[in-house]
Amino acid sequence: MHETRPAKITSPVVSLGNGYIRTIPVAAIVAAVGIVVSILFSGGLGARFMHAYLTNYAFLLSICLGCLFFVTIMHLTRAGWSVTLRRIAELYAMCVVPMALLFLPILITVLTSNDILYPWVDGGWSMGDGDASAQAAGFVNTLPVNERPPFEQLKYGFLNPGFFAIRWVVYFLIWGGMAAFFLFTSLKQDKTGEAKLTHRMQAFAAPAMIVFAASLVFSSFDLEMSLEPFWFSTMFPVYFFAGAVLSAWSTITLTALWFQRTGRVTDEITTEHYHDMGKMMFGFIVFWGYIGFSQFLLIWYANIPEETFWYNWRINYPGWKTLSYVLLIGHLFIPFLAMMGRTVRRNRNFMFGASIYLLVMHWLDHFWLVMPHYNHYVGGGIEGRGWPTFNPIADLACTVGMIAAFIAVFCVICRDRPLVALQDPRLGEALNHEVH
Amino acid sequence: MAEKTNNDADSKLIGLLGQFDDPESLVAACNEAREAGYKKMDAYSPFPVHGIDPAIGIKRTILPLIVLGAALSAVFVGLGLQLYTNSSAFDALTPFPGYPFKISGKPIFSIPANIPVTFEIIVLTSAITTFLGMWILNRLPMFANPLHRISRFKRVTNDKFFLCLEAKDEKFNRSASEDQLNKWGAVAVEEVRQDLTDTDLPKWIPTAAILGAILLLLPPAAIFSQWGQTNRHPRLHVVPDMDWQHKFKTQTMSPNVANGRDEVDLLYADLRSARRPVDGAIAFGSLDIDSELNYGVKQDFAHTISFRSNVRASLSDDSKKDEAKGTEAGDEAPAAEATENMEQWVTTFPQGVEVTEDLLTRGQQRFNIYCAACHGYSGQGNGLVNQKAMALAANGDATWTSARSLHDADVKGDAKNPVGRIYDTITNGRGNMGPYKAQIPVEDRWAIVAYVRALQETGLKSPGADDAAAEETKDEKSEEVSEDENSEEEKSEEDSAEEETKEEDKAADDASEEDKTEQEKKDDA
Repeated sequence: MHETRPAKITSPVVSLGNGYIRTIPVAAIVAAVGIVVSILFSGGLGARFMHAYLTNYAFLLSICLGCLFFVTIMHLTRAGWSVTLRRIAELYAMCVVPMALLFLPILITVLTSNDILYPWVDGGWSMGDGDASAQAAGFVNTLPVNERPPFEQLKYGFLNPGFFAIRWVVYFLIWGGMAAFFLFTSLKQDKTGEAKLTHRMQAFAAPAMIVFAASLVFSSFDLEMSLEPFWFSTMFPVYFFAGAVLSAWSTITLTALWFQRTGRVTDEITTEHYHDMGKMMFGFIVFWGYIGFSQFLLIWYANIPEETFWYNWRINYPGWKTLSYVLLIGHLFIPFLAMMGRTVRRNRNFMFGASIYLLVMHWLDHFWLVMPHYNHYVGGGIEGRGWPTFNPIADLACTVGMIAAFIAVFCVICRDRPLVALQDPRLGEALNHEVH
Repeated sequence: MAEKTNNDADSKLIGLLGQFDDPESLVAACNEAREAGYKKMDAYSPFPVHGIDPAIGIKRTILPLIVLGAALSAVFVGLGLQLYTNSSAFDALTPFPGYPFKISGKPIFSIPANIPVTFEIIVLTSAITTFLGMWILNRLPMFANPLHRISRFKRVTNDKFFLCLEAKDEKFNRSASEDQLNKWGAVAVEEVRQDLTDTDLPKWIPTAAILGAILLLLPPAAIFSQWGQTNRHPRLHVVPDMDWQHKFKTQTMSPNVANGRDEVDLLYADLRSARRPVDGAIAFGSLDIDSELNYGVKQDFAHTISFRSNVRASLSDDSKKDEAKGTEAGDEAPAAEATENMEQWVTTFPQGVEVTEDLLTRGQQRFNIYCAACHGYSGQGNGLVNQKAMALAANGDATWTSARSLHDADVKGDAKNPVGRIYDTITNGRGNMGPYKAQIPVEDRWAIVAYVRALQETGLKSPGADDAAAEETKDEKSEEVSEDENSEEEKSEEDSAEEETKEEDKAADDASEEDKTEQEKKDDA
């Protein structure tokens, strides 16, 4: 007979605790070393390093945003099953606040009219005038706005450094506000156990979701799509979103498994939860592929040069072509078939490996989105060189450094906070969750 | 006990039904039954009971695997269907030729285009397989279930829970099983009997089914019998007065000999079904007698226009000869271009074209639509089509003459390209550029001319422009002004041009030269 578990946390819930305070300096040192090595190997604080930085920044930010989405959607749907997983997502969502600090290098680049990252900051990009002069003359290539080609003037209304900075301040206010509200209300509930706090979070979740969706759309335009100011795709934010949510699902699963293996969380998270997370991951693998292909198909079919060049760089040049196929097969086909079965989704070792695998794929996805731009504009043309950005040490060092920084930040946010929501009214539902 | 429980020769015992009052005792009883070795049994409840599946020992269904197999085969069916229907290359393998669609240069068979259809076929196949597979695995349709003859069972949709031990089970024993059910907490135990009388299907049903199937086969059989046949009879006309209407169709002869009747309706002696326009008739809105407006050629040189409409041809006999010449010797055209009379082009905008800001805006818009693809938004000759084509040409994958930069020294200025000549270029094309007179109306062509002049006039600024070049531009401009007959219009054009850039007299030529060198660099690469 099926036993109903009492609706409270029975085991002593452990926080990260003092032991993990020691992780912070180690992670900080690794972060510093990684960033320095990356700068050295990419030849200074130039375009090469900034592109590696942007790749990793987009990767980590998308995880935070995916976790913020997780928290919001769970409140919006009044989900009971996910209560014991929600705290992990809340903690990751809170990471957007330090992520705002990590955005400063990108923002400073833009505000100093330096076009090593975004060609639109100083105009002239529609005239094929990006790289040569930028490299030769540093970044003194500024064309007065009213002397730029009409097409650029039109886009200047949106793509200008000042408005860019204002937008990012607004994005971080929205995300930080949401994350802080959810985390602190939830922490307050740990002490008081009031049901009205849950009602408050649910009421907040609905309007917050609308604002979140809008900010996600525009931030994905700003962060990665505007690398090619010519190119536009209204499907791009959905693509970004699909990847973000998939990686958030993977990150939450990975973190939950890690907490359980190290004994920080015991039986609050069950195989049933992993099974459901596996289903969500499976769903978003399909969604990612669906959106990615839809975006490709429309551009492929319409065959308009202003749109096709973006894909042309990615699928017709050596190296990028391989990477495109790696993504198609490794990000869609393999996980699609691998995660289809019920048995594998209930296997914790499998879910551990699948989460890491999907995060690697998600990182490659961002590499694929960002790096061809370096090749084309700053690297002196994609045509002749093929795969010139292949500089694995610069990329890997930057990735290791950024992830270490992220882990340090995560540990700081976790501190001694409980890793499971202690007194949520729907705790019983989560503890007795059963998948059919 | 129900009506049928007494030993009836016409009925057969198929199981024992135990009733339970709550889901917990049902699950407990199921566990007991499974542990006692029963395999063939089923539990009935008003709602899904947690944990009932493992309690009755239900094995996991194989339906997902069936659906997976169906979906994978649908991939091949979907792709194969499209490969077959789109290809003509498989004639040898297939009895019917396909319809190869040649759309905008796409390959006849390409995976991206076929994925949506394949995807839909996968979804459809999977859905149908799931539905039918569920029916088959559940042995549906079942028209009558003996359980429904038991009155107490009716509360299974309401508030009672039942466990049925089937008589087919090896462990089943009428009295022992009843005792066991009672022991496991059943509040009532009842026999389930199947009525053996009147179980046969009425005879007319299979007969009607067979007849219906035969009837359904007739239309395809009729079509199949005609496969590969040739029929010399005229086709059936179901609605004759729709097929034979009393009118002449365009591009047909008079009389319409296809009407199938014997008598000849000779309506017109010249056998044309439609009349030609009277000589000199001009269709509404197509009077192009104003050569300055319509051809960019001065009225004095109107007779030299070699490219003629019907209207002009009917106006002058001389021009008719010219036209004949032109059509006979197509190869002479380049030679004629070589000795082009620059005097013929109008140097000012013709009457009726007023250069205003509205016109320039219109021209900019049209330019960005029609011209920018090759010439670029700023007219530097580096539009996206040009970039792509040059990249292909560099690899030897295409032949392509680069689009001209409108800022080149030998393109700019009244000496090289007076407005009339620019207008003519848009109208009839030049070099590799095709004619645009079919796409762009006359007024819009002049608007584009005005915008092109504005682009050339303002040029493109680049840091470190040469002052000497700036002076050159100034000189050129003053020449222009002195030549101007219609200075007011020209002035307004310049005004608008001034709005485009503040420092008008900076070197535009220099910018274009720089572009040229850049272009050359690219070409070398």
